[in-house]
Amino acid sequence: MNYFTKAVLIAIFFSSISSKLFSQNDSIAKPDSILLKQIEKQLNSSQTSPSPIQVRTAPSTLPDISVIGDFQGSYKNNVKRNFDAGINEAELSLQSVVDPYARADFFFTLAKDPTTGKFTEDLEEGYLTTLSLPAHLQLKVGKFKSAMGRINPVHSHALPFISLPDAYESYFGEGIDDEGVSLSWLIPNSLFYQELVVQVTDGPIDNPSFSRSVGNTYLELVHLKNFFDLSPNATLELGFSGITGHNFYDLRTNIAAMDLTYKWKPVQFNTYQSFTWQSEAYFSNADTLNHKVVNSFGMYSFINFQFSKRMFFTGMYSYTNKPYSASTIENSFSATIGWYATEFQKLEIEGKTTSSNMGKEQNQILLRWIFVIGTHGAHQY
Amino acid sequence: MKLKFVFFLFAFFATSAIYATKIIVVTTTADLKSITELIGKDKVDVSSIATGYQNPHFVDPKPSYIIKLSKADMFVTVGLDLETGWSPQLLSSSRNLKIQKGSNGYVDASVGVTLMQVPSSINRGEGDIHIYGNPHYWLDPVNGKQIAKNICDGLEKFSPENKDFFESNLKDFNTKIDLKLKEWTLKMVPYKGVKIIAYHNEWCYFEQRFGIIIVDFMEPKPGIPPTPSQLVKIISEVKSNAIKVIISSPYFTTSSSDVVSKQTGAKTIVLGTSVGAFDSIKDYFDLFDYNIDKLIQGFK
Repeated sequence: MNYFTKAVLIAIFFSSISSKLFSQNDSIAKPDSILLKQIEKQLNSSQTSPSPIQVRTAPSTLPDISVIGDFQGSYKNNVKRNFDAGINEAELSLQSVVDPYARADFFFTLAKDPTTGKFTEDLEEGYLTTLSLPAHLQLKVGKFKSAMGRINPVHSHALPFISLPDAYESYFGEGIDDEGVSLSWLIPNSLFYQELVVQVTDGPIDNPSFSRSVGNTYLELVHLKNFFDLSPNATLELGFSGITGHNFYDLRTNIAAMDLTYKWKPVQFNTYQSFTWQSEAYFSNADTLNHKVVNSFGMYSFINFQFSKRMFFTGMYSYTNKPYSASTIENSFSATIGWYATEFQKLEIEGKTTSSNMGKEQNQILLRWIFVIGTHGAHQY
Repeated sequence: MKLKFVFFLFAFFATSAIYATKIIVVTTTADLKSITELIGKDKVDVSSIATGYQNPHFVDPKPSYIIKLSKADMFVTVGLDLETGWSPQLLSSSRNLKIQKGSNGYVDASVGVTLMQVPSSINRGEGDIHIYGNPHYWLDPVNGKQIAKNICDGLEKFSPENKDFFESNLKDFNTKIDLKLKEWTLKMVPYKGVKIIAYHNEWCYFEQRFGIIIVDFMEPKPGIPPTPSQLVKIISEVKSNAIKVIISSPYFTTSSSDVVSKQTGAKTIVLGTSVGAFDSIKDYFDLFDYNIDKLIQGFK
């Protein structure tokens, strides 16, 4: 029995328990009939009157369980099969506190292979996080998304666009989620938030910039996050990342990255309006065949504007080389409109055009429908 | 110059020493901050994450809140899943064992409160249903006494040497609630049974305490924005029940209530759901003073 099947069985088991626990007597207090008499009674009592016994569930002992469905449809030119549609991915998450000292988060995915159409299971993330280390340290062990930049740590369903930025895909493919150890330190700075993360992981198996070494070369990452409250309604985040590891040529690739995010969200009407401007830049230094060094660059920048409670617009530009080809230049533009029915369901449509000095222009229209059942943990700010 | 420097150093360390003796408390909402200040007085240094005019269901978990939480001795939460979208993430990122759920510094203000609208089954088809019951219990001032007791218990655990001080403040708080409750209830007696419309299902505790009747909500289901068919239904209900008042909260737009107002003549009144919702609501008692006066103005 593989671990995905086991996870599904565990989820069913917990769901059956939770449904029983959640079923409890409706013990709504009866409305007051004589208000003044009640006040007099309360005034005559010097102590707070004991509350009637009310049954409450204790679901904190159960993990939060959710399943996220990701349905996608697409039209692409310059390919043999222009139209496609279906479930792109299903994600099962189990998240809970382990004991007073740690919490655990597991994310299993069942993803469709775009070439074969078959679904394959994977442990996208599965890690333990400490809650109680001294000196504001936090340790994470297991398989997790690397703390590089703003996009990599976020699950794709939570992003405000469907197609990943070309610059990001050029250097990191679908992202780096890897097995290893992560130590983060909340720097004692009373002026603004600063967090330093150091991660050492095995190295990704299938990634444009990095590969897993059979020797003692690991993927090493450092990320410094600086977060500023500009006003109650506006924030700025500036991050610096450095990542080094084994590459396809059995040599080393180093990437320096920078991210800048400005967010505006009026505190009072934060569910109706918001604006985000987010950018990342990647500087790659790859040692390749015969120690030929390739220095290349990629960047993206997008704005996300919420213009009503349910409607969002995202516009993005991306420029990129390739990790082993600085002469390749790709430019892309995309526009996404999202309709968020509730926190548990959203529908997005995106148009994207990509031009390259190495090939034909590619145009695509994508549709995505994300839906969640169960309890899913909040995403990072 | 040398004397000035010595004086500065003395002042700095003296201030630091005073600050260090205070219990650092972070609350999720401004109401809990107000009550904590009334119980802890000069022994506590309290800050709230959510402001009084903000929807407590939807607070952005900004990293800057993690700094506050990392230094806190005590964390006070409304609980009942009200803050489920943001506070668990902040707590686990705080690296502060003292305030994690189950620790002495974690105070769930809802403990001992008699809850309303506890569902017997859960179905998201009914909208944003809270699995433990309606979490807006602080809008009944009698529940304020239970909240204060929970906070007092939390402070005593952290600082048992100040037990008498906290309990004396708790007694004063309860006495003032009793006095004010009589005043508020007497003001509302003429309006007992008066029917109103509310935007969101967050007034059931207030409704029960002061005897008004909420006929329906602008939201067709909790968390779902008003639809045209719901507005038609509301207009019909306002007309058939001769309803004069629609109540809303500072963090909801009044555009849909204004439509109903135009069609029916009913007034839209924005009440305070938390301390700090409006400038004049400076503490927990002001919250009810403001809301009751506003409602009565609307009924007249």
